[in-house]
Amino acid sequence: MKTFDDLKNFYETLLYNDLKSLEAYRKNIVSRLITAMVIIAVLAGSICVLLRRMEFIFFALAAGFAAYAAVYYFCTREYRSKFKSSIIEKIVKFTDPGLSYEKDNYLHEPQFVTSSLFLKTPDRYHGDDYVFGMIGKTRIEFSEIHAEYKTETRDSRGRRHTRWNTIFKGIFFRADFNKNFQGRTVVLPDTAERLFGNLGTSLQSWNIARGQLIKLEDPDFEKIFVVYGDDQIESRYILSTSLMKRMREFKEKTGKNICVSFTGSSVFVAIPYLQDMFEPRVFKTLLDFAPILNYFENLELVVGIVDDFNLNTRIWDKQV
Amino acid sequence: MMLVLAGTVIIAFVMILAYNSLISQKNEVQNVFASVDALLKKRYDLIPNLISTVQNYMQYEKGTLKEITELRARAVSGQLSNDEKVEVENKLSKALGGIMVAVENYPDLKANQNFLQLQAALNEVEEQISAARRAYNAAVRDYNNSVQMFPSTIVASILNFKSASFFAAKEMERENVNAGELFKKQ
Repeated sequence: MKTFDDLKNFYETLLYNDLKSLEAYRKNIVSRLITAMVIIAVLAGSICVLLRRMEFIFFALAAGFAAYAAVYYFCTREYRSKFKSSIIEKIVKFTDPGLSYEKDNYLHEPQFVTSSLFLKTPDRYHGDDYVFGMIGKTRIEFSEIHAEYKTETRDSRGRRHTRWNTIFKGIFFRADFNKNFQGRTVVLPDTAERLFGNLGTSLQSWNIARGQLIKLEDPDFEKIFVVYGDDQIESRYILSTSLMKRMREFKEKTGKNICVSFTGSSVFVAIPYLQDMFEPRVFKTLLDFAPILNYFENLELVVGIVDDFNLNTRIWDKQV
Repeated sequence: MMLVLAGTVIIAFVMILAYNSLISQKNEVQNVFASVDALLKKRYDLIPNLISTVQNYMQYEKGTLKEITELRARAVSGQLSNDEKVEVENKLSKALGGIMVAVENYPDLKANQNFLQLQAALNEVEEQISAARRAYNAAVRDYNNSVQMFPSTIVASILNFKSASFFAAKEMERENVNAGELFKKQ
């Protein structure tokens, strides 16, 4: 377990020089972006003035924004890539030498579907920042994921409108689980019981798509989570009293509505985040320690699942 | 007249639902109890292998090993009442726990691959038994709630559904295994 001082030392001795060379690159990008912004603004304004039609302001603004977004994407693409290869990769290795990092890779859709955490199958699925390796005896992998499904509506003129809805956006984690099991157990945030009490529990028992409702004996756990599974005994075998306590503590630590599932001898954890976690700053200096601390804390939180869920304890029949 | 008829139909419907729910919960209790039995049998099957592996190494625990063999023989005889069964199970758990603690004194045994596999299998089955007991208690809780709560309690009392009893951990089982005590037995 790395301490704050270890990280500070790592930042000063190994990271700072790389950050300095990237900082020069960042400043160059910012000046290019400002120039582009001025040119686009002048062009959009000139078009409005030349056409002397105020109703074009809206179109000029929209076109201007689109042009700026494209310029931003192309200008920062290489910078983001360089930042991830030189900085994030080093922070990953610093967090645990047993881990590796691939910036463009991610946990693929079949695993997302296998996890059974979300009932909807994604129509659009992408991700990045793939981290994988061994923590003690446990193989882990995780990445950022954005999974969406499509809804289509037709307006009064018969025109088709497509809308993309997020199924999940955040960190998606998989690790080998330390006990043998056959079926599927899914642990989800318990909104129904929190809102409706016992009536909520009754509603949950009718959720056929999810399987049997598993009512566990830990009342604090039951307040936060709802558990569905194929087998009452197996779900309890997986969710020992100690693991329930550990999951409760992990939920408090993250402060997020985490979802956990146990299937195919793996444990999957989905931690929702609204923002991308490993992106570099563009309009602020890179030399600050605070963002580095933030990247490290995010990584440690996810990698820490192995210890938090006690996955390295191999006292049961499953040794590897 | 129509009102009375409608009332009777509704009451009959509620009673049928309550009866079906009671039956399914009772079956669930029996089903989980059968699973506990199956897991206990899995543990009995591991014991002879365990004894034959450890007896060559363990010099001072012969008494405990003999006790485990006898307890297993009693448990599989099929002539025990439920209370006796629970008592034998508890004693067996305690004795097996004691053996696992005593293993610390035998480095050769701790390095024996066969023993390590048996130990892991035993840990697994112990945890499964504990899970099955928790599942049984949850099934009993649901069933007892139905037996004691309105309106199903009316059906339960008419048709003589009795509350089921929980698996309670006995005092002896709650005690921590005392390694010193094991050696005193020799």
